[in-house]
Amino acid sequence: MSDFSYLVQFFFSGLTSGSIYALIAVSLVIVYRASQLICFSQGEFYVFGALIMASLLMKGIPLLAAFLLSLLSSVIMAGFIQYIVIRRLLKKPIGMLIVMTIAISLALRGFALLIWGRESYVVRPFFQVAPLSFVGATLPSQVFLIMGVTALVLLCLWLFFEKTLIGLAMRACAENPDAASLMGINVHRMSLFAWMWGGAIGAISGMVVAPLLFTQYTSGIMPMVKGFIAMSIGGLTGISGAALGGFLLGLTEAFTIGLVSSRFSDAIVFTILIIVLIFKPSGLFARSQ
Amino acid sequence: MNIRRILTNPYLILCLSVLIAPFVFADKSAYVTGVLIFCAIYTILTIGLDLLMGYTGQISVGHASFFAIGAYVSAILTTRYGLSPLGAMASGMVLSGILSWAIGRPVLALKEYYLAMATLAFNEIVISLIIGLEGLTGGASGIRDIPPFAIFGVSFKHHLLYYYLVWLITIFVIVLSRAIVNSPAGRALSAIHGDEIGARAFGIDCTKYKTGIFVIVNVLASLAGSLYAHFIGFIAPDDFQVGTSVSLLVMLYLGGIGTIWGPVIGACFLKILPEITYHFQDYELLVNGLILVFVLIFLPEGLYGTLKKITKRAEG
Repeated sequence: MSDFSYLVQFFFSGLTSGSIYALIAVSLVIVYRASQLICFSQGEFYVFGALIMASLLMKGIPLLAAFLLSLLSSVIMAGFIQYIVIRRLLKKPIGMLIVMTIAISLALRGFALLIWGRESYVVRPFFQVAPLSFVGATLPSQVFLIMGVTALVLLCLWLFFEKTLIGLAMRACAENPDAASLMGINVHRMSLFAWMWGGAIGAISGMVVAPLLFTQYTSGIMPMVKGFIAMSIGGLTGISGAALGGFLLGLTEAFTIGLVSSRFSDAIVFTILIIVLIFKPSGLFARSQ
Repeated sequence: MNIRRILTNPYLILCLSVLIAPFVFADKSAYVTGVLIFCAIYTILTIGLDLLMGYTGQISVGHASFFAIGAYVSAILTTRYGLSPLGAMASGMVLSGILSWAIGRPVLALKEYYLAMATLAFNEIVISLIIGLEGLTGGASGIRDIPPFAIFGVSFKHHLLYYYLVWLITIFVIVLSRAIVNSPAGRALSAIHGDEIGARAFGIDCTKYKTGIFVIVNVLASLAGSLYAHFIGFIAPDDFQVGTSVSLLVMLYLGGIGTIWGPVIGACFLKILPEITYHFQDYELLVNGLILVFVLIFLPEGLYGTLKKITKRAEG
């Protein structure tokens, strides 16, 4: 492999992990805007999505059906959590909200441990195509699938929030919940929809990456932390900012691992985050108001 | 009435429980005292977090970072450079103080979720530096054979002796924290919690006070780290991950935030709970999570607040 093909390899691996970070960051932003809380249990939907699909595939259910069933169960789970727990927590102090979502994530992780035990699962690639060779870099088909699905999810989100009435109502709730409820919008129901979106996107991110990584009940922690970083780079409230932040994070990480040092890549990435937070807390891509 | 007041004095209850706790359990094993020593160490950490979050309103999701620094400074100085445990502990506290003073000013200018993010990131940086700087810290496999604690040659190798020492320090930390909270500086901190702009309008130098309390709580965390390292004898980066910071937050809310006594209950409860739910084996994680959700929904003032309410109701 030439030097250039290494760069191509890093670029694509950055885009792949960036897609996952972008999806999780976007799901965090949607939940944040609807419920004014950062959901520390978002990583569990990633785990449940991947593990439910793995179990269904092992039972011999076709891929598409397994994908959709797993998606559905994560959506129901997220809706259930919002309905039972999050509803009671309107306007509580931030620390309490953080601890609450952490408690939920512990319970979900415990639940996953009961169902799947401590084993790791991996899913077969969605398409049985030989890896593509591109200027000397080897790229498995799943990489393109991940990027394609990410693009599709982002497109769906854009259509939903910009072109549908419910999307508009959800944006109104995010801007000002009190005024929105005076206009006859059911704020609780919009928050419920947001959580369902969050669950769906979290599960999708877990499922598309399931053929590349081993997933077990604790796998949700790191993607969630990375999702937070991406979200902060984007400034917490912007969906496009969060998505860009995710890709930027993935690429930065891939190139620091490849070119600088794999040992200190986390330290470098987190230092960048602190610098961004201190000097531009509204995010790198925020428009000035 | 007076007798009841004396009997419900939290200091008295705590001192008595500390004195008799190791003898309540029939076997008096080192394991039981070990768990109780962990309770004390986590109490120190959680009280620090309470001063920072409960009284000053500054969120931290990275409180374990200075716990790590204290433990590693102690471990490195005693195993590599033959320093006495007391000297190593003091060096760790001084280093933590200087470091938190340096990062405190820029980081504490952030608010709410941004501050949570920055502290979480700092915790991750500390951990990845510990793993990365293998030559100094032993990397992911950690440092072993850390000597037991000693003061001027008097060793605290016996677990019961160390137990009393650690709890004595913990009670001192409680007294100190209550003194801080009730001082004029403590009231300035509460003012910052209530309304920072308002506090500034009254002439309170918010940056100075926030940095000051940040330095104090991190020095306490470093102290707890040294006590931990000298007790357990072996430390690895896993003990200080964000997960540890998170469980400190959990202890704080479980016990009751903004009360000083709450963290004592929360820390002891969460450290002893696994010893009970341990019998559930794989159900442990689920049970712990559900207990927490339950407490947060139905007892928002935490265990201490609820206890206080019950005793007040009993008094009529």
